This record gives sequence, C-alpha cells and structure tokens, in this order.
Amino acid sequence: MSSLSLRNISVSFGGVAALSDVSLAVAPAEIRGIIGPNGAGKTTLINVVCGLARPDRGSVELNGRTVTGMKPSAIAALGLRRTFQTSSLFGGLTVLENMVTGQHLSTRPRFLATCLAARAVREEERETVERSRRALDFVGMAGFADRLGRELSFGQQRLVEIARALVGEPNTLLMDEPAVGLSLVRLADVDRLLRRIRDERGIAILLVEHVIRLVMEVSDKITVLSSGSVIAEGAPAEVRSDQGVIEAYLGKGYHARGQ
Amino acid sequence: MMRGGKIAVRLLGPGPIGLLCFFAMLLLPLVANPYLLFVGTQLSIFVILAVGLNILVGYCGQLAFSQAAIFGIGAYGAGLLKVHLGWSFLLSVPAGAALACAVGTLIALPALRLYGLYLALATLAFAQFTQWVFLNWERVTFGAGGFRLSRPAFPYFTAGTGTFYIALFVAAILVILAARIIRSRFGRAIIAIRDGEVAAESLGIDLLRYKALAFGLSALYAGVAGGINAMTLGFVAPETYDLFLAVLLKAMIVLGGLGSIAGSVLGAGIVLILLELLRAFKSAQEIVFGAILLSCVLFAPSGLAGYLSTRLDSWRERYVRAFSPLQAGAARDAAEASSSASPVSGNA
Amino acid sequence: MLTYLLLGGLTSGALYALVALGIVLVYKATGTINFAHGEFLMISGFLAYSLYVFAGLPYLISILGAVLLAFLLGAIAERIAFRPLMHANMVSLVLATVGVSFILKGSGRMLWGGRGDYLAFPPLLPPDPIIIGEIILVPQQLVVLAGAMVVMVAFALFFRLTRIGKTMQATADNPKAARLVGIRVEQVHMLAFGVGAAIAGAAAALMAPITLLYPDIGFSLFIKGFAAAVLGGLNSMAGALLGGFLIGVIESLAGGYIATSFLEVSAFIVIMVTLIFKPRGLLGLNAVRRA
Repeated sequence: MSSLSLRNISVSFGGVAALSDVSLAVAPAEIRGIIGPNGAGKTTLINVVCGLARPDRGSVELNGRTVTGMKPSAIAALGLRRTFQTSSLFGGLTVLENMVTGQHLSTRPRFLATCLAARAVREEERETVERSRRALDFVGMAGFADRLGRELSFGQQRLVEIARALVGEPNTLLMDEPAVGLSLVRLADVDRLLRRIRDERGIAILLVEHVIRLVMEVSDKITVLSSGSVIAEGAPAEVRSDQGVIEAYLGKGYHARGQ
Repeated sequence: MMRGGKIAVRLLGPGPIGLLCFFAMLLLPLVANPYLLFVGTQLSIFVILAVGLNILVGYCGQLAFSQAAIFGIGAYGAGLLKVHLGWSFLLSVPAGAALACAVGTLIALPALRLYGLYLALATLAFAQFTQWVFLNWERVTFGAGGFRLSRPAFPYFTAGTGTFYIALFVAAILVILAARIIRSRFGRAIIAIRDGEVAAESLGIDLLRYKALAFGLSALYAGVAGGINAMTLGFVAPETYDLFLAVLLKAMIVLGGLGSIAGSVLGAGIVLILLELLRAFKSAQEIVFGAILLSCVLFAPSGLAGYLSTRLDSWRERYVRAFSPLQAGAARDAAEASSSASPVSGNA
Repeated sequence: MLTYLLLGGLTSGALYALVALGIVLVYKATGTINFAHGEFLMISGFLAYSLYVFAGLPYLISILGAVLLAFLLGAIAERIAFRPLMHANMVSLVLATVGVSFILKGSGRMLWGGRGDYLAFPPLLPPDPIIIGEIILVPQQLVVLAGAMVVMVAFALFFRLTRIGKTMQATADNPKAARLVGIRVEQVHMLAFGVGAAIAGAAAALMAPITLLYPDIGFSLFIKGFAAAVLGGLNSMAGALLGGFLIGVIESLAGGYIATSFLEVSAFIVIMVTLIFKPRGLLGLNAVRRA
C-alpha cells in the first residue's frame, strides 16, 4: 500500500488551471522527486496534499485513508509533515522550543495538571526535551538548542525545520524546495539526510525541488510537471533523457546529451 | 562579589518583586485613605485586564480591540443580574464573567478568517457596537446614565477594603495562572500560531481550537475584571468601557512588553500612575498615552520587560521572549509576495 | 420622507466617500490602514475654523489653507510613524497609527476644545431651504455634493493622468518592481499619506458648515469611512466612492425608518458583516483565499 496516493487531482485558481488531472503514488521508504519549470504547479501540489488548498476534483489518500478536504492540522495528525520554501521556524522561540512544539501531537493537553505543575507533566516534558535533542542530533544541529529561531542562518534554519518535522515521527514527509539558497556543502548534507530519513525511518518523501542535481542524485523516482500536468515519470536516468522534459525546460530544438 | 551579584539579580527578578508588591498591597488598607484604596483596587483590575489582553495579543498575536468592550460586558452582566434579578455578587460576578467569556470566544470564529489588520478593525467595530448596545438598549442597560449598584457587605471590613482584597487575591491567582499556562503546551501552541500560523498547522496545531481558547481565556480575564469593577465602583455606565480604555490597555501591554506577563503587571502599574497624575486633563491623557504607544513601538518594541531582560538575567522568561515586531517583518514580506494583501487570512 | 432621507443620505454619503477615498488611497499605496485618518479630518476642520473665524481670512483661503496643512500633517505623520515601521509587522503599524491618532485627538481637544468641545462653523450660504416641488433642500447640502464631486473628479484626473498619479499607481501595484525602476517608494508613500490627508481636509471643509466640530468626530468618521471602504472593496477607489454613498443612504434610511439610534450603528454592522461574509467587498479585486 502506498504511503501517499493522489488520484486525478485538478485545481484551478480564478480560471487558470494550476493542476490538471495529476496522479501519483509514493511508497513507504521511497524518495519521489517532483520537478518542472516555473509555474508547473509544484507548490500547489504540496499545498493540496497537506490540506492548504482544496482540489476541485480528485482525491488524496494517506496510508489508504482519504484526506482530501481535511484541515491541515488533522492531516498532520495522521502522520504527514512538511517543510516550507521560506523559513517557517518560530522566530520567537528557541530551537529547543521549536522542537517541543513539533511534538504537539505527541503530548496531551492536561490543563489542570499544568496549573498545579504536577510531576507527570514534568516527566513528559523531560521526555519531550530528550526526543528533541535526539532529533537535533540527527540533523547535526545539536549545539544550537538554546539559540533563538531567528538568530540562525538560513541553512541552519533549514536543518532545524527538518528536525522539527521529523521529531513528530511522521510516516510521510513533503519537502518544498529544501535546497534553495544552500551552499554545495549544505547540499551534500541534505542529500545524506534525505537518504538516512528514507532508509533508517522508512518515511515516504515527496521532494519538490529546482536544484536538479539534488533531485537526480537522491530520488528513487521522478515525476515531471509542466503547466499543471504530468509529462513524464520514471527513474532519474529515464526522465533526464526524456524529450518532452527537455522541451518543457529548454524549448524545442534541444536534445539529450549523446544524441 | 560575583555571588553577591548573582543573588541580587535573582532578588530583583519578577518573582521576588511580585511577591514583595503583593505583601505591600496586603498592608495597604492599614495606611491608606479610601481614595488610595480605590486606586489600589483599580491597579488589581488593570493587572487582570492587561495580563488577559497580553495572552491574546502578545502571545497569540491576535490584534483585537475588543477587550474593553468585553470588560464592559462582564461589568454589565454582573451588575444587571444583581439589579434585575437580585442575584448576589457571589453569583453575578462569575455569571458576568461567563457571559463575557462566551462572547469573547464567539469573536474567535470570524477571527479565524480575518488577517491581522482586518481583525483589528472588525473587533473595533464590534467594540463600538457593544458601546451602542450599552447606550441604546435602555430597557435593560439603563442607557447613557448607567445604573447604581449597592456595594457588597463584608463581615469585618468596609466595602472598599473588602473589594480591595478580593481584587488583589483574584489578580494574584490569575497572574500566576497565566504564567503557568504560558509555559504549557497551550502556551507553546499559541506562540507558534503567532510566529507562523501555517507552520503551526502543519505540526498539527488546530487553529480554530487554539485561537478560540486564546480569545476565550482573554475574555474570561476581562469578564472577571468587569464584575469586580462593577463591585468596586457601585456604578456601571457605558463611558467607562470605551475606546480610550481600549487604547489604554494596549499602552499597558506595549509598555510592559508584549509577550511578558511580568511586563504587563508593570505596564498596568505605570499607566495607572500616569492616569492618576493626569486625572484632570483628558486631552493630556490622550496625548501622553498616544505618545507612549507610538514611542514604544518605534523605540522599544520589547517594552520594559525586554529592556530589563537585557540587564537582569532573572527577567528572561524561560519559554518566551518579549515580542519583537521587526522579526515578523520577513514573514509579512513573504506573505505579500505570494498573495495580494487581503482581509482573508493567508500568512506565509 | 423617502426623498428627504435619500438626499440626506447622499449628502453624508458624499463625505463618507471622500473619507473612504483617502483611506483606500493610502491602503493601495502603502498596504496599511491609517487609524489616524479621521484625526487629519478633525484637525483640518478646526484649522479651517481658526483661519476663518479667528484670523478672519476669506472662506476659500481658509479651506485651502486647511487642506494644505492637512497635506503637510499627513506627510509628517508618514515620515515619523510609518516609514520607520515599513518593514515591521502589522501589529506595530496598527499600534503606531493608533498612537498618532490619540496624539492628534488630544492635541485637538487641547487647542480647540474647552468651550464645551463643540464648535459651530458659520454657514457659507443662507440656511433657508430651497423647495423644489416635493423636495426640500438645504443649500449647503448642494455645496457638499457639488464640492465632493469636484474633489472626486479632480482626484481621479490627478491619479490617472498626471505622472505622479501613475507613479503612485505603479508603486501600489508592485512596490518591488517600482523600486527597481527607480521610483522612490518612500516618497510615494509620503505623497500618498499627504494626498489622503488632504482629501480628508477637503471633506472637513465641506462638512464643517453643516455639522458641529468636536474632537471625537475624527474617529466617528474614520469608522464610517472604513465601513465604506470595506463595503466597496479595500483596493478599489471606485468602490470607496460607491461604498460611501451606500453607507450614507443605508444609515439615513435605518435612522429614519427604524430608530434614530440606528444612525450610529449601521456602519459598525456593515463592517462586521462585510468582513465576515464578503471580505473582498462589492468591487474588490480577486484575493487569494485559503481553502
């Protein structure tokens, strides 16, 4: 059973079709790259999956359960997490507090107990902090726990965001251009990280990206969008030499290398 | 020398100072004349209002101008139940607070769809609407002239002293409660909503529920303050709960520091003192408080608490930093880049 | 009765339209709502009064003087309270303009209040009503309507035809692109605030002879102007005008047929209802909505 499955998704905004009849399925422990020229509908796709945009037609299923039209917070509760193109760290909270917030769903309300500062609450807080530190370790940001979100550099914020998404132990991860603005060194980090996430945790990853090098290296399979439709799908090598894809990016008259 | 310094810093923290003030207030009725006692009661009421408003505006980032009106609903609720139905204060004050809380929570529903600026104006319109109801629903609210209430009777104290102590104890409890709540899961959730609604949602935080809770909690504080105010004044009239008070409350929390409970207490105190000093000059009051708002926003966005936290470690609240408006500017730019600014919420 | 109410409604509507125009202009150019907008109107009204009654200047000069001073006031307010906060978030901007609003209100009260806070501006034309068949008109109403029309047309021409006007439009549509093309966005903002305040000043000048001036009038008109702007669609200047007349008429009819107290409250209800159910207003442009 696939982790994430989209069937015939169509979305239009004000008469313009952002997505037309898009279908795809991502298996657990698979990295699916989504590429396409500007305006292809990649971000709309992510927004539809996580619940921020409602499709006009089609359905989204998460682990066999239909989630189309559900609130983003409800879909998150089913094990979906996403990262954002622009920084989404909570600037006024420390890195650690960001991580604790990321475990919102794993903790319980316990209003009265909090007022009385009961021991059970403190225990839970200790565990939460422990899990946070482990997640920060995983992405290599262990030393930054007490720094404020807004004090971090862009690349650092990116990594913490990924940790924050992971700490909730999701089964599916949507990543919206994680590599944008990163140096080559950081790119290698992200590459390694994605593989580890897939291999060690069995998470299905939907990776929307512009940085072709990263997508080609790390994806198991790639779906290519252009003007809202899927124009190619397959292993990176196939997609790279697909004529339709080349035309979509470069226009007619270009050919794959070696032809 | 170092150790002594550290202890001094500890002693100057919000906790110890708060405790000191509390004990000082306990003794106030022994030395004060009735007017000073009245001002002291006002202080407790302002503290409750400011802390409640800060939960909504400073921690949750919802810029609502409805607090003064809800304060009024609490006061009118408590007063009218006493006057029309003969309930004692013991019943009518909580009932008034419950009414205020209900109304406040209902405001959260449209608030979900209104982005910042429009929320401010919608709540402003709501506040004016409430004023209008107070003024014009004469059969129930007695109109512009307001109505009188008999003061509560206490076994060993005068009415003034009794209400002073009630206000003080309620304020102390509510302040401590607020400090606890902010450090909880709920507190983190509303701060997350303030700093990035969309990201917060993606982590599973239900926006409707938490905004409604924030609005409701803040309204509860205002409602309780309203009932106590009615009790203290022995009189309820529309002009007490007007736009000027709404701005006064904003000045309190901005001066004290958005996102700092201790700051709100300080802000309430300072504003009250200024109010008393300028009692005779309404126009001067308006200028001064307008200037305080403007200058704090321009020069000291983190307020007093922010300033103190740079000097004294003990003022750094563990889970929250005083709200700094400039930090969220980037989020606003990003939001503008992706959509034309519209009344409907869509940040990030 | 109906024509009487309609006429009254259109007259006050014309004023609300002008106030709304100023609000929308600033909103379009800067992306923010200036809470002190009403106070610009109040101060101009008082200034015109002082110029006319105390300094004894002729009527038109007083008006012009007040409008010019309003323009300056707007520009200064932008420089002091808005520009430093251009990149801060909305909470700061709102609170800053609220602060300015109260500073101005207090100053107005201090300088001109005190005589019971209400000032009566001497009427320009004789107050005897003109009767045309069934319709009873007070001459000043005609002046208001005509004057408002003049201002609206003048403004429309300015905005569409002059270079400055087009620059403002460009900046409103796309500040980043405007900057890239070399437009000094800060100056455009200052201009927008100034022009917005000047329009408010013109409105004050028109209304002063038929209404009493008092320090709180600024907020009262601001709310109604905002209601008009929201009703018409916050990013549409034509909407502001339409909204203004609609609010005026709705108010007048509600006041006449339901109860006089409804004169005040109609605007509040319109704001709440519009923002909740149709936030784009009647003529507003498409806005991105969350699912």
